[in-house]
Amino acid sequence: MAKQLITLTVNGDEHEVAVQPYQTLLEVLRDELDLIGTKRGCTAGSCGVCTVNGEEGEAVLSCCALAVEWDGRTLTTVEGVQEGTELHPIQQKFLEHGAVQCGFCTPGLIMSAKALLDVNTSPTETDINEAMAGAICRCTGHIKVKIAIREAAKVLRERDSAAGVNHGAA
Amino acid sequence: MQLPEFEYLRPKSLEEGLAFLAEHGEDAKIMLGGSDLLINMKFRLDTPKYLVSFNALPELQAVTELPDGGLRIGAGCKLTQLADSELLKSRYPALHAAALSVGSKHVRNAATLGGNLCLDTRCWYTNQSENWRESRDGCFKTDNQLCHVIQSASKCHALNSSDTAPVLMVMDATVSLVSQAGERQVRMLEFYNDDGVEHTVLKPGEMLVSVTLPPPTGRAVYAKLAQRNGLDFASGTFAASIAGSNEKPTAVCLVMGSVGPEPRLLDSSAQLILASGLNDETIETAALAARASLGEITNLFSPSGYKRRLVKALIKDALLELRDQPI
Repeated sequence: MAKQLITLTVNGDEHEVAVQPYQTLLEVLRDELDLIGTKRGCTAGSCGVCTVNGEEGEAVLSCCALAVEWDGRTLTTVEGVQEGTELHPIQQKFLEHGAVQCGFCTPGLIMSAKALLDVNTSPTETDINEAMAGAICRCTGHIKVKIAIREAAKVLRERDSAAGVNHGAA
Repeated sequence: MQLPEFEYLRPKSLEEGLAFLAEHGEDAKIMLGGSDLLINMKFRLDTPKYLVSFNALPELQAVTELPDGGLRIGAGCKLTQLADSELLKSRYPALHAAALSVGSKHVRNAATLGGNLCLDTRCWYTNQSENWRESRDGCFKTDNQLCHVIQSASKCHALNSSDTAPVLMVMDATVSLVSQAGERQVRMLEFYNDDGVEHTVLKPGEMLVSVTLPPPTGRAVYAKLAQRNGLDFASGTFAASIAGSNEKPTAVCLVMGSVGPEPRLLDSSAQLILASGLNDETIETAALAARASLGEITNLFSPSGYKRRLVKALIKDALLELRDQPI
């Protein structure tokens, strides 16, 4: 079948790319757009290393999404998380608290955590577990990951306070 | 794993979509969230020539409050939308719990109610990579007349793995099925077949477009047991509904999911509770009766002995919770 020209806005940049309908969002991000931060893991929706954030900031399993279904839409990958030349609080806390070992799942964990903290800077344990259940790590046992998320939440809460904004519990 | 090649169709209207389905028959598959279909395609369990995406139709995502106090939910509604719905949580808490129990938040952001109801049946034997399966004989689901799980079987025993189905059955919900030929309403209690291959009553060219819930009278409960709190398909699910008081119920419906090719109605246990009320004694007996009435339990995903013990425990805990719910 002839390729279809689609437009994807990734991390604020608009890209026009010719894709086959059977190319997943993951494949297009990595193989066509050279955004290799998002990883190929189980490719079956069970591990979360392919997680990107959709238009509402929601966690999207890019291995199970067709690129053609994302024509004209906006998404964020791990490459778009840092704040200028500064790390995002989530990234910073992951480093500070030993939540990164081999690092392979880290982009997926960060995007999953970001999907949570973007809408809820006061997550309960249940909220964190729910948001992160879909992103697994073979190295850390998840403990430091959760600590890092709680610490990042604190930073983001403080920012919200300073800005007079409330991203309270959902 | 990569997807096989296919042609992609994205109808702009339901009519256009149904025409595609009618035209291409077995060569076409419906896609909404794709969180089951795309994975099965990567495993080469499904290799449709055409993928018909119904995602350009916002009407399939509508949630409509009905004049009789019921609710109609579009097949395209994301499970995350249902999990976040305060309306659903307050009026239909069992369904809310079921939606929340599916997969992970990541999966629920893509997965739809329609997709969950039409989830393909699952089996440790068949839900493996093409490579793995090619080194062995096929089965009823693929290209052979045998079942690797129940050797003496004359049909497929793959499990219905929908978490929302058991709840919708005990609620006596109905689904709306449309095709080019027209529309029909089917009770959820009649939607599934006891066959791992032809597991729903959907005819070729037919699509499930909405689920209608009756007004929320009575009480209901849902329970799921899985290896982990997230991501896993159930080892067993249980849904129960009761109308009236615990002492004198007027209607009782119990359904066990993920233990057979179709969700299993636990009739004798329901009759027992209807006759003698919902109390410690009847709960104990009903749970035991359910375990016995399940008949052939496969060793799919868990040993069958474990499943039998699981059934009893799951049902007992859930019925105790139901009994203690305020009327």
